[in-house]
Amino acid sequence: MLDLAKSIMLTFGVQNVYCAKHGEEGFRMFCEYNPDIVISDWMMKPMDGISLTRRIRNDAKSPNKFVPVILMTGFSERRRVFQARDAGVTEFLVKPFNARDLYRRLAQVIERPRQFVRADDFFGPDRRRKRMTGYDGPLRRDTDVRPEDYLRNLADRDMKDNDS
Amino acid sequence: MTQQHFNQTPRRRAEFIKPPNTIKAKVGSGGLAEEILDRAQRLLENNTVDFLPLAEIYLSALQQGIHIAKHAEADADQEYVISTMIYPAMQLKANGGMFHYPLVTALADRLIQFLEVIEEADLGAVEIVLAFHTSIRAVVVGRVTGSGGVQGVELQMALEQACTRYFDKNPDNINPEATRVTDWE
Repeated sequence: MLDLAKSIMLTFGVQNVYCAKHGEEGFRMFCEYNPDIVISDWMMKPMDGISLTRRIRNDAKSPNKFVPVILMTGFSERRRVFQARDAGVTEFLVKPFNARDLYRRLAQVIERPRQFVRADDFFGPDRRRKRMTGYDGPLRRDTDVRPEDYLRNLADRDMKDNDS
Repeated sequence: MTQQHFNQTPRRRAEFIKPPNTIKAKVGSGGLAEEILDRAQRLLENNTVDFLPLAEIYLSALQQGIHIAKHAEADADQEYVISTMIYPAMQLKANGGMFHYPLVTALADRLIQFLEVIEEADLGAVEIVLAFHTSIRAVVVGRVTGSGGVQGVELQMALEQACTRYFDKNPDNINPEATRVTDWE
């Protein structure tokens, strides 16, 4: 799998691909080479991809805590995805995958990078990516608007701009 | 002074950081040509890795998980017990399709769905896992690459029906929060 992933990356035109057999070796190489992107499997021993991601995000030795981490795994169950997300994984790639799947994830981290969040109990990529819709609870701030009003306001503004 | 309401969840302090996009600066604009993507796809499809030795490792781990589940004490940590079967099943699902055994992926995927949903690996559940193990092993040892044709479909249906029958008999052994996604937005 490692060789296969490496070959695909080389075919994509990536110049330097560093391979490690498990998370511990991976973190050592990450510290040494400071790569632009990390692609990791979930299941590895002695250190798995989740622990590797946590180290990349939180270890004092980590040369780039903001590096995009793409996690490859056979899991697709919600709680597993959330587990990976909460560890600081940037993108999730379900195996088996095809070349376009991997390319889409790479394009995503390059073209639509996530901002990072530092909170008391979390450091990693912002776990939200799309605007929340369908919220019908109370509006708590002066600036809060309901989604439908937000869209209406945008349409009104566009019409005013066109009139002027 | 900030007004605190007695039943309001305390606000979490969070700092938002926008890291510099150094990769974008390196790769520039424009995506990969279709021809490159096709070449990468062909590389995946034409790989000659023998899946059998790898599958034997995962099947053996799954067999070990079944053994652990069969002999687990009544107060055993069920999450651990189930995980001993889920992890090798996940490896079979992930790697089967990568190495020309999509039927292994389909069967292992169904097994994972079953294991992710149950709350306890009781004897009935272990029998189901054993049936999956036997079927996947037959596919791998019989070198059934591809979908397995009509027999592959029948095998999947038989195992799915076994799962359905199990849940009909054991409606309480279902984790209601178990749902699956393939990505998060």
